[in-house]
Amino acid sequence: MAISTEKLTSILQNFVTSTTDIQGAAVVTPDGLPLAATLPGGMDEERVSAMSAAMLSLGERIGSELARGGIDRIFVEGDKGYGILTSCGEDAVFLVLADKAAKQGLLMLEIKRTLADLKAVLM
Amino acid sequence: MEIMRLVVTGPVGAGKSTFIRSVSEIEVVDTDRRATDDALLIKKRTTVAFDFGRLQFGPDMALHLYGTPGQSRFDFMWDILIQKAHAYILLVAAHRPHEFREARRIMTFMKQRSPVPMIIGLTHTDCPGAWDAANIALALGYPNPARRPPVVAVNANETASVAEAVIALVQYTWAGSLAPTA
Ligand SMILES: Nc1nc2c(ncn2[C@@H]2O[C@H](COP(=O)(O)OP(=O)(O)OP(=O)(O)O)[C@@H](O)[C@H]2O)c(=O)[nH]1
Ligand SMILES: [Mg+2]
Repeated sequence: MAISTEKLTSILQNFVTSTTDIQGAAVVTPDGLPLAATLPGGMDEERVSAMSAAMLSLGERIGSELARGGIDRIFVEGDKGYGILTSCGEDAVFLVLADKAAKQGLLMLEIKRTLADLKAVLM
Repeated sequence: MEIMRLVVTGPVGAGKSTFIRSVSEIEVVDTDRRATDDALLIKKRTTVAFDFGRLQFGPDMALHLYGTPGQSRFDFMWDILIQKAHAYILLVAAHRPHEFREARRIMTFMKQRSPVPMIIGLTHTDCPGAWDAANIALALGYPNPARRPPVVAVNANETASVAEAVIALVQYTWAGSLAPTA
């Protein structure tokens, strides 16, 4: 699998810097390894990737076992902000960390747009 | 109905997921994903969150079996799972001595977080190059046979063998809870 890490990284950097209230983003493999990441200081890339994979796998399991169907996204809402996981094709998971101030509608729109860019590179 | 939560841990490919699949009476919850790292050298898929299975144990007790991921990047799952465990079994592939150190690291991680009883399960004892129990115990830091947790051989692929290991773990746990606290 020849994935262009540089292209992924530049898409992520672009996304994080151009969207207000986004603090970080990462693209990871379904078994929890980082492909590319732009994360807030102090957050470990390996750990973030592993957690993203674990969370998505459980979400998908809930989707199938509790008859919710295929999972579009997993949304974690804390009092300091959001963590949003979106499956990005077969081979990747997209994680976004956003500030509590983020407008959810706008956030989802931006995620959707970026997802398309990422998928194009991952193909 | 009493519930006993047992954790199955150990390095990648020791046989944790297989172990639970072999004895569970419900369809196991598995979170195996296609491996893209060194785990590939051993097998195609690897656990990323946990395995879950259930086994009725006598009329009054249900065993809940939780399998951990083997890779250390998932050590937050080790932590979550061991917190609620009543006992655990450390699976070690007897024919992969270069992984004994990792097995020991996992054991240390668990011991620092939980005082519950542990036994050691040796898998792959049927494979060429398998070490014997005494030497593996030594490699795991137990030089004195009189002062070490029980060590059992278990083939994760065989239901009867896994059932025996589970019984050994439950009995060891009961024995510990009956012993006078010094
Ligand atoms: N020959 C032999 N094979 C075994 C034995 N125990 C387990 N296996 C095989 O070893 C492999 C273990 O795979 P898993 O059960 O996925 O291992 P795991 O410990 O869950 O691995 P991770 O989730 O990646 O950490 C399987 O292919 C089993 O069939 C044994 O005693 N003898
Ligand atoms: Mg497993």
